[in-house]
Amino acid sequence: MSAPATITDPVAPGGGASRLPGRSLLRLGPVSMQIRRRSVVVAAVLLVLLAVALVFSLSLGTPYVAPADVLHSLSGAGTPYDLVVLNLRLPRAVLAAVAGAAFGVAGTLIQSVARNPLASPDVIGVTQGAGLAATVALTGGAAAALVAPAALVGGLAAAVLLLALGARHGLAAQRFVLAGVAVAFALRALTEVVMLTADPIDGQRAQVWLIGTLAGKGWTETTWIGVTLLVLLPVLAWAGWALNSTALDDDTARGIGLRPAARRVGLAGTGVLVAAMVTAQVGAVDFVALVAPQVARRLVRAERPPLICAALLGALLLVLADLAGRRLLAPTQLPAGVLTAAIGGPYLMYLLLRGRRRSS
Amino acid sequence: MLSTRDLVAGYDERTVLDGLNLELPSDAFTVIVGPNACGKSTLLRTLARLLAPRRGTVLLDGTAIRELPTREVARRLGVLPQSPLVPEGVTVADLVGRGRQPYQRWWRQWSEQDGAAVDEAMALADVAGLADRPVDTLSGGQRQRVWIAMTLAQDTEALLLDEPTTFLDLAHQVEVLDLLHRLRAERGRTVVAVLHDLNQAARYADHLVAMRAGAVVAAGPPREILTADLVREVFGLDCVVVPCPVSGAPLVVPALTSPTLAAGASGASGASGASGVGAAPSAGAPGAGPASAAGAPGAGPAPAAGAPGAGATPAAGALAGSYPSEGI
Repeated sequence: MSAPATITDPVAPGGGASRLPGRSLLRLGPVSMQIRRRSVVVAAVLLVLLAVALVFSLSLGTPYVAPADVLHSLSGAGTPYDLVVLNLRLPRAVLAAVAGAAFGVAGTLIQSVARNPLASPDVIGVTQGAGLAATVALTGGAAAALVAPAALVGGLAAAVLLLALGARHGLAAQRFVLAGVAVAFALRALTEVVMLTADPIDGQRAQVWLIGTLAGKGWTETTWIGVTLLVLLPVLAWAGWALNSTALDDDTARGIGLRPAARRVGLAGTGVLVAAMVTAQVGAVDFVALVAPQVARRLVRAERPPLICAALLGALLLVLADLAGRRLLAPTQLPAGVLTAAIGGPYLMYLLLRGRRRSS
Repeated sequence: MLSTRDLVAGYDERTVLDGLNLELPSDAFTVIVGPNACGKSTLLRTLARLLAPRRGTVLLDGTAIRELPTREVARRLGVLPQSPLVPEGVTVADLVGRGRQPYQRWWRQWSEQDGAAVDEAMALADVAGLADRPVDTLSGGQRQRVWIAMTLAQDTEALLLDEPTTFLDLAHQVEVLDLLHRLRAERGRTVVAVLHDLNQAARYADHLVAMRAGAVVAAGPPREILTADLVREVFGLDCVVVPCPVSGAPLVVPALTSPTLAAGASGASGASGASGVGAAPSAGAPGAGPASAAGAPGAGPAPAAGAPGAGATPAAGALAGSYPSEGI
């Protein structure tokens, strides 16, 4: 084997205590990374499930395309189904995967920083800020091309407002989440006002946008989200490591030479940027950013949500939600946001009930 | 190695430390004592650059600590805050490994030195056997040793600890203090700790700093500075200071402050009889015993500490003399 990469178990050669229980070390020249063995297994399983879900997403529908034919089309062999599979279904399925992954990443970053599973972009107002801006754009007669940029700006503005409100007492405080929920409610109320006073047809369009749908979307939206993630890749690589310290309190973190406040702003800022971008592209798809990190965390059994597994789980969730939305009441199409909310709602209740049981 | 120059620090509008000058000796175990809210934790947090001073400076080996990169400070100065948050589900080895943070980067997350330092820290703090256990399932004493191991893994010359024994039972307190003493004696580390128990401070400290209302009242070796006068000045408590029968360090015994307690003690000491005639009058007259000890400022405690068991004052003599009969 000529590759310089080695994976070692960081156990002392002299037979000392195992230094990093449950982790292996990936060495590549001067680079060394700690890898949670359980994360690798979970990520591999999620990847397989995601691939299967994607094939089903390309296969199911009218007309039905057998999975074998889907694979043939994908391999470029040229089948009669190329138009359906490659041009109609593939862009939407890939968008679902990329957007879901982005939601998972955004949720992981913000929840870890706030040390609170409820602190996801769709609970603390980022999504609602984007929703208000998009509604104003949709009902105000702005060009269609302006809706996404307006939503991006709206989401970021809501985040800035929230940081201004919450920064005084630190992002980790319960106050931060409460302030976020308040901001979200206020923005939602404003959105309602704008919708009710608008032309009913514009209001209806805004309503669909607010629920979040992938219908009629594809490569353009995928490109925007994908480029955002690619540009942020170095930041995300740092974040995967930096998130390890988010479970420590500020004094302990400062004691080991970290700057927790700067770190939080960097991590949360990245999360907000990703959340605002993906919401601007696919609309206010609820709950993926809330659920994916928490489920991934339980699967990996870590003290905070794992970035890569949460991204894969978000992708899987949105691909399945979009597929179900297309097929459940076919030919009527349900927006993906309805399905994710239907899955996420009960899960949120479970989290709350569990939290109450623990505190009692 | 650590010192402060005209340090002013506090929280919000409240100024806790106002122009504090202090020199902490290296290679010594320094203990900071004082009543609640006297600013000892604020001092420790400011020394450890966890709290930014409003004015004045903290000097680390002559350089202002605020001007050093925090990562570099973390390689020279370890700190254990008062009640660190225990991350859910993190194993002991994992948490101790976090102490290596100042030596790591996101592209260099582990090295041979990291492994060696973690092994050594866990062995020193006697938590190697717990390596795979989640920290949140451990007892208070074990947890505290794990946190100390984390700061040890930082491999620093100095270690600052904010009330490391609070919430621990007596046996675990002794265990933690013995560990800190070993670090100083065997590894030559500089240890600075805030403690609540004066007698533990007197036994373990090489250098004692007594604080009151944000100012240093006295600083020096406990056998030289810990007197009944100092305790009264710092804590507002009447007491006698006698040599500890086990270590010879000053032992602070609070005076009987409640008349009913004094009456009971009088009966008890009268009944026990054998412990000496001197005990009855001093304990039987509330205030008289402490007053006589206090009546000769400096004179009473000083000879008592200098000549253990000599009994320079009746009260100290009686108390010192009573130990053997109680079988300690």
